[in-house]
Amino acid sequence: MDRETQRKWDSASRTLDLFAFAEDRRLGPHKRRLFSKMRGATLMVAAGTGNDFKFFPPSMHVVAIDISPKMLERAARKVAEYEGSIELREMDVCDLEFAEASFDTVATACTFCSVPKPIVGLRELRRVLKPGGQILMFEHVRSGIGPLGILMDLMTPLFRRVGPELNRDTVGNVQKAGFRLRRVENIYLDVVKIIEAVKDDAT
Amino acid sequence: MFFALGDYLAGILVGVATALVVRAIVWPGMDMVIAMLLGMAIGMVLHLILGLVLSPILGMFETMMPASLIGMYGGMLFAMRDSMAAGSTTHAATALVGAIFGAIVVLGVKIYDRALRGAVLDAEN
Repeated sequence: MDRETQRKWDSASRTLDLFAFAEDRRLGPHKRRLFSKMRGATLMVAAGTGNDFKFFPPSMHVVAIDISPKMLERAARKVAEYEGSIELREMDVCDLEFAEASFDTVATACTFCSVPKPIVGLRELRRVLKPGGQILMFEHVRSGIGPLGILMDLMTPLFRRVGPELNRDTVGNVQKAGFRLRRVENIYLDVVKIIEAVKDDAT
Repeated sequence: MFFALGDYLAGILVGVATALVVRAIVWPGMDMVIAMLLGMAIGMVLHLILGLVLSPILGMFETMMPASLIGMYGGMLFAMRDSMAAGSTTHAATALVGAIFGAIVVLGVKIYDRALRGAVLDAEN
């Protein structure tokens, strides 16, 4: 377990819900559309305070993990509001306790901006996905727009101390981890993206 | 409508604040390179503070992206202007230029967002 990351997100859990009002209204419909593609046994990575549970389709059984026990304490209050079942587990995405090929779907929302070793984490997710399984990601990444990308590089050392990194190449990391990209969609500029990828049967 | 208006007001606020603070710190005749670096740093600090205050109401991404452009690049431009004593002579005029700059950047970001939005890869279709 990465204790430094755990402490950072324990601390951030106090303020995360402050941003829910605007994010739910502006980005919520896109998350709902993405998560409507969940099927079968589903793993939600970095559940946070559970703000995204309301975007899950009803009647699912979801295992939701987070590295931060403080986040999970807050998420537990939102589990009861979901019309299905959600099992919360404290776990590091880079060291999953699940057997190989346990899930049909993995879902993430603003997760791989924060995982210190993103490719290691994505490879772990690939390991626990069944062949043909899918990963549904709602992530922010480094902009390819020159001036904006430079700003994100400049601000990342500052943001990294209290929260996410701003200049991740998550689309590239998904491919490096062995997934096949199925769909990539820009949601806000080229910064906020929906990324859908598949673990091919043959690999 | 609330968010669209809010985005412009946030951009205007960051633009005005950056323009006024840069005007207060950069004096005519200051080395332009130093002034521009100072302006960029001022813009960076201001956009972070204002962006974090406004993000819970308007959204983190929609606030911080335009605010970062306004604060840092605007800060450099305002500092260059003020070091040359080549700009607005009153505080009101300084604020107005900051407001116009902020609104134009927000408009530009919105246009760019519209152009970029949508699928960039769709292997199923």
